[in-house]
Amino acid sequence: MGNDELKSISNLHAEEPNRVVDSQSTVNALNSAYRIPYFTILWTFARNSLVRDLSFRTNFILEAISSLAWTLMNLAFFKIIFLNASSIGRGTGWGEYEFYIFLGTVWIINSIVQTVFMPNAQEFSELIRTGHLDFALLKPINTQFLISFPKFNWSSLVNAFAGIVLVNYSLIRLSSLAERPLELSIWSVPIYILFLCCGIGILYSIILSMASLSVWFGRNQNIYLVYFYLTQFYRYPSEIYQRGVWGYGLWAVFSFAIPILLVANVPARFLARPLRPEWTSSEFYMIGFTLIATVASLFASRWVFNRSLLSYRSASS
Amino acid sequence: MRTMPIIDIKKLSKTYRVYQKKEGLLASLRGLVHRQYRTIHAVSEIDLTVEQGEFVAFLGPNGAGKTTTLKMLSGVINPSSGQCTVMGFVPWKRENAFRRRMALVMGQKNQLWWDLPAQESFRLHQHIYGIEKGRFEQTKSELADMLTVTELMGQPVRELSLGERMKMELIAALLHSPSVLFLDEPTIGLDVVAQHNIQNFLRHYQQDRKITIILTSHYMKDIAALCRRVVIIAGGTIHYDGSLRGIIDRFGSEKIITLTLAKTESLAGLEKVGREVSIEIPKIKFRLPKDEVAKTLAQVFSTKHVEDIVVEDPPLEEVIARVFFEAEQSMNGGNSSAAGNPLEISRR
Repeated sequence: MGNDELKSISNLHAEEPNRVVDSQSTVNALNSAYRIPYFTILWTFARNSLVRDLSFRTNFILEAISSLAWTLMNLAFFKIIFLNASSIGRGTGWGEYEFYIFLGTVWIINSIVQTVFMPNAQEFSELIRTGHLDFALLKPINTQFLISFPKFNWSSLVNAFAGIVLVNYSLIRLSSLAERPLELSIWSVPIYILFLCCGIGILYSIILSMASLSVWFGRNQNIYLVYFYLTQFYRYPSEIYQRGVWGYGLWAVFSFAIPILLVANVPARFLARPLRPEWTSSEFYMIGFTLIATVASLFASRWVFNRSLLSYRSASS
Repeated sequence: MRTMPIIDIKKLSKTYRVYQKKEGLLASLRGLVHRQYRTIHAVSEIDLTVEQGEFVAFLGPNGAGKTTTLKMLSGVINPSSGQCTVMGFVPWKRENAFRRRMALVMGQKNQLWWDLPAQESFRLHQHIYGIEKGRFEQTKSELADMLTVTELMGQPVRELSLGERMKMELIAALLHSPSVLFLDEPTIGLDVVAQHNIQNFLRHYQQDRKITIILTSHYMKDIAALCRRVVIIAGGTIHYDGSLRGIIDRFGSEKIITLTLAKTESLAGLEKVGREVSIEIPKIKFRLPKDEVAKTLAQVFSTKHVEDIVVEDPPLEEVIARVFFEAEQSMNGGNSSAAGNPLEISRR
């Protein structure tokens, strides 16, 4: 350093004699006019994660292959079920291809959650434990955004493509039925995507709330486990729960308290129309309630998140 | 016209409740049901003002409350009570306008993407802080040039040495040209050369930009090289606020004296001239309380033929260690109020 460094300091002066004033006025201008480019930042996160993932190429490929293999075994399992039964639940309308739409929807949702929200929730929990959340809190940007998206686990996205393929294939099969063929309108896809987003929003809220609890627990490695247990329940049509005391109990809890039954049921129902051609009133209630539940979940998780920041202690360095 | 201080702290406190874990499995099991907590006063009612352009050092033993104070000043944690403004903002409200004008660098925690080159993290900062492209490129290359890491910006951070990583952390923190910079042990674990480089950089940068910096460090060299003002924090309270030199004047109660006697002189009679006498003929070295120096030396001169004399202050580290020790003693004595403290509090 030494001389070189002094030289570069004097260069600084030569180029910008009014630096202090200059930087101050820039800052002031920024305060009023600057709009944070959230999409650019999201893109940077996504891109940086991909660059990182690809720098460990073999690991990336193995992860993608193993999760795809698991997904295909999942499909094989239900194929076997449908060799034994014609529908999931008596009189529910969830025949083989209707159910594959449901299954594909679950894959898409799970895949997006595991690509974006699960790694970030685990990371957030870890940031709290190690005190590295400090840096997120220092940045002039919405903290919830900053902890929700920095890490993309791209290899998990392969299942979303598998899900899209399965849904499309099933739609084609259902549309070409001789009896009760499925008819899609131009609105089917956008509404399907809307409810898919609602479902992801609900899961994101649950994951974010669980990760936020790390502030009080000090350590919380159960996020993935609890998520895994919960998702066991949302993988099936809600009708199958509506039998007996246990069934109704689970149905009520997972519809109203922790609304995971809405996550895949609503978008899949919209596309697969198991009870076509007519809509039942309970289906309408379910759709309306999903919108409310999504907004409520997002607000509730935001509240928990903000409360957790208030109690954040920042592990000592 | 009196300007408002850039940092203004009034009666700021932070207490933590920590779980008292007892030793042993049985105690741990009991702890599952019934937990005992202890309240820790990390920072108790500190008052401090810092003017624009000052370079202040927080000095104190581990667990003194230095880092906790920096974290409150940067808005990372909320205080338990008290008030504080930094550039007119309440830090823990975490307004974007505030966060865009300050930075915190921690020697023990890094914020750069571990598996990616530092420049990727820098680009992210460009977007988050809204640094205009031309200005970003210029600042980045200036800083990299000053810290001599231009060639390393394309290397994954995990492949950099600790010193290089710290330099990258500094660049990341300074890209948006903050007006206030908090440095928490920025040279921890670095070798002497790397420490020196970072000190040099910080000194020049601060002089050039006239920004306000608060630094905590355990290395006296950092502080001696950089800060004219030193605040000693121990046990969560401020024990001294003034110049580094002033610490010795105030707390250094002894002088170290080295006499070189003429060859013909004997050392007889000097064995008990002061404390910690050490003899290396013809030199004799000893310690004296400050107020006895003149009298004792006059006596020696009257009886011995002295060729040379050196009167020194004890090493700064030693004086500061004593300040820490006494501060902690007074804390443990259960009396944490300023009045009961044997070390009186000095303010500039």
